Amino acid sequence: MTDISLPQSQPSRPWISAAAVIVASGLYSWALLMAEETWQVLSLLVLAVVATGVAIKTGFVRRVERDWAASETRLNRLAFAVLIALILVLSGSHFALLMISTVLLYFVASLGLNIQFGFTGLVNFAGAAFFGAGAYTAAVLGNVLVIPPLLILLAGGLVAMAISLPLLIPIVRTTGHYAAVVTIAFGVLFRTFLEVNEILGGPQGLMVNSMKLFGWDFYNAPSLGNLEISFYLNYALLAAGLAALVFALFRRLERSWIGLHMDAVRLDETAAACFGISVKRTKILAFLLGNVILGVSGALYGMMISFIAPASFTFSDSLLLVSIVLLGGLGSPWGGAIAAAIVVLLPEKLQLLQEYRFLLFSILVMLVLLFRPEGILPRHLRNFFPNRRTDA
Amino acid sequence: MTGHLLEFRNVVKRFGGVTALDDFSMTLDQSEILGLIGPNGSGKTTSFNVLTGIYGPTEGQVFFEGQEITGADPRAVYEAGIVRTFQRSRLCLSLSIYDNIMIGDTSRLVRGLWSNLISRRRLEEQLDMTRRQARDLVATFSGHLADRMDQPVGALPMIERRRIEICRALISGPRLLLLDEPSAGMTHDETHQLMDDILDVRARGEGLSIIIVEHEMGVIERITDRCIVLSYGRKIAEGTYAEVAADSEVQNAYLGAD
Amino acid sequence: MDFGLIAQYLANGILLGTMYALVAVGFTLFFGVLDVIKFSHGDVLMLGTFIGFTAWLGLEAIGIVNPWIQLVGVLLCSLAGTALIGAAIANWLILPLKKAPQLNTLLITLMLGTAIREAVRLFYPNGSNPKAFPALLPDASVEIGSFALRADSVILVISGLALIGALNLVINRTRLGLAIRAVAQDEETARTMGINYTLVVLATFAIGSGVAAFAGIMNGLYYNEINFGMGLILGLIGFSAAIIGGLGNLYGAILGGFLFAGLQVIGAALLPFASAYKDVFAFAVVIALMAWKPTGLIPERSSDRV
Repeated sequence: MTDISLPQSQPSRPWISAAAVIVASGLYSWALLMAEETWQVLSLLVLAVVATGVAIKTGFVRRVERDWAASETRLNRLAFAVLIALILVLSGSHFALLMISTVLLYFVASLGLNIQFGFTGLVNFAGAAFFGAGAYTAAVLGNVLVIPPLLILLAGGLVAMAISLPLLIPIVRTTGHYAAVVTIAFGVLFRTFLEVNEILGGPQGLMVNSMKLFGWDFYNAPSLGNLEISFYLNYALLAAGLAALVFALFRRLERSWIGLHMDAVRLDETAAACFGISVKRTKILAFLLGNVILGVSGALYGMMISFIAPASFTFSDSLLLVSIVLLGGLGSPWGGAIAAAIVVLLPEKLQLLQEYRFLLFSILVMLVLLFRPEGILPRHLRNFFPNRRTDA
Repeated sequence: MTGHLLEFRNVVKRFGGVTALDDFSMTLDQSEILGLIGPNGSGKTTSFNVLTGIYGPTEGQVFFEGQEITGADPRAVYEAGIVRTFQRSRLCLSLSIYDNIMIGDTSRLVRGLWSNLISRRRLEEQLDMTRRQARDLVATFSGHLADRMDQPVGALPMIERRRIEICRALISGPRLLLLDEPSAGMTHDETHQLMDDILDVRARGEGLSIIIVEHEMGVIERITDRCIVLSYGRKIAEGTYAEVAADSEVQNAYLGAD
Repeated sequence: MDFGLIAQYLANGILLGTMYALVAVGFTLFFGVLDVIKFSHGDVLMLGTFIGFTAWLGLEAIGIVNPWIQLVGVLLCSLAGTALIGAAIANWLILPLKKAPQLNTLLITLMLGTAIREAVRLFYPNGSNPKAFPALLPDASVEIGSFALRADSVILVISGLALIGALNLVINRTRLGLAIRAVAQDEETARTMGINYTLVVLATFAIGSGVAAFAGIMNGLYYNEINFGMGLILGLIGFSAAIIGGLGNLYGAILGGFLFAGLQVIGAALLPFASAYKDVFAFAVVIALMAWKPTGLIPERSSDRV
């Protein structure tokens, strides 16, 4: 953070309204996760819609955005602190922590997809397959006790990368619809493979051993005096750490020459090539990096839910991941976080919607594509120079 | 090998049954400004596309600084020092002015995943350095945009976009600049100004050569050293503007095209 | 391998190929007129099959039990209903997105497909379970050695091929076909020639969807079972077939359809110990084909102007 003197027109604390939004979101999440009656959930939803509407009407949103541009690092840290506080406050509730961890891991997965789709323009309709590859890796390796479990996460990423290698040639050579068919075919192939492969448990799936870190089995609930603490606390904290790490990496990628190459390749391959950008290298990098992230998040997800089956990694699940990216806004990480929360929490909190969730979200995405194609929280212009004066 | 900067030797380009470039030979010397003129569909842009590696030629050879670059991919052509603008402006409209200009320069900058994501000291140095360079370049072409480097290009009018496109081509310090109808959509005065700016940038560096495709004959007359006239993919005349303008075959080609 | 088994595989391949080709021609027609991929095609087909099934239930309920009359009724309702749905989707979802990036159309129709599939699963009476589709065709068969040629599959293949032939005639010999081809060539020119662009697009979507519904009914009559998920896999295969054949080309789609069926049959024949892997094999070959020919076996004309 640099010690710049702020121009006169700016308020003296150019982060206060954004900080308020972060704290309010934390409180809101707490309320939503604790709400048990349908009417409570519904009134919270109404509250969110009304608050958003008011914020837009009064210009508060623009102020928050300005704050964010001015003190990004500080606000990111605050958001992380609020998240950890939320997890600790809810440490007694299995369900709330499971929800938080699931949202976080879907968010991480959406960041991986965003590198491919949002930045580079490669649509991956096999997201659930790479996520599943990570989960199955965790299941298989978890039974081999000699491997340290933190390495299993890494292995999940590496396996996801390894199975994307055969796809590199078709991914690099095809464009548009032809590229879509490659990942769609792969997604179906992967799921069919899991279903018919007896070693991997066939349609019944596999048990996954829990995470163990430094001799600490995540299945054990941490005890603190006579406080009742859910064992999901371990996973929620680890997922939060993973999300923070991948988020930081995502931002760095965006603000690097490689990130610029990805945008150039998405927006105009021919022009990019005419300025020395390797379209192939950029696409390969995006595809592999994205799939590694999907694999890592899938591995942790598998360990957390401790039981996986092919039915969790279908084409519809891949579409759900793509929906998160589209709803949030292409290339917009915070949008992805909000969309992941909506997609995961809404059906869980409103049980009557559970059955209808695919229907609901597919209609929602159609409406977004028709009326707000840039998503809930559109991506901002790249800011290579956060926390610096803009006039060089 | 010849001492020319660029040479097309009997280049032919066919698309299906259509011959877009027919036995086309030309040379270009260091620091020369060459005008490429001819009616629509006469093969001007095709010659740019063949040169920059967007298409391989059907027959013939292309040399740059004595090296054969026939059929080289666009990246290799760029690395040899050849850059271009496009007839229909091809900027990334959702990116900022700075981002768009930097697209023209990044292959000279750090490329590794490690130095882009993890250890970013050099990247930060390059950001500071290129920000100044890009700003200076924009200041030459469009003074008032120099303080608005973070604006999205899509918000700019067409004329400004063309200027930004030329900045993108020039930021890497190329040897040869290919301009594809830079004045399209501009008024006479704006075109005049743009050409002055290009000449100004050229005068600062050493020996930038330019090939310009243009319909505005005033531009051609004012800035080119030499012209080549194409018609149906064939070279029909070559010489100074005054010479080709007086050529009867050229006059026929233009009248015939109308 | 004995003759009977080979003949069995061959007959099966031809039937599947006809079905896939019928689905693939829809994709290729839509791509031809609008340069879009309508991914909901498979689910529209499924919906059409359910409309046909419902029509059969209705006919049963009012006491019409002659299988031939039932068949005609089922086909009429299914094809007409599906054609209407196809045109409606084109009118309200695809044409409005004409100016948006092509990918958006792919995405929106993917989502529409999911919505249709889910809607049938949730709202059709007992929709999440498979339905027993009636066998309306004669169940006679001819024994040739160890191979039994089923009459219903012969009828299905012949009528399917006839439909493809008829479609080809419509495209190449009629005024409507001429208009469709003109729009596919160049929209602007077609408009200036006085062709009603919107009408041609809607007609194309109606025809393509109707043809796909026929494939759905074929599927139902042959396997005697339909379910809400059948469209996803049939659509996927049809899409792959259209793509490997090369988009925008009727013959490419037919070639792709039979190729995909061939792959499945070969997969099943070569891997008898693991015939469950036949789809894995078929999709793996599709991916390999895309690596080899990135714009299909009969490539569309490239249109990226620089």
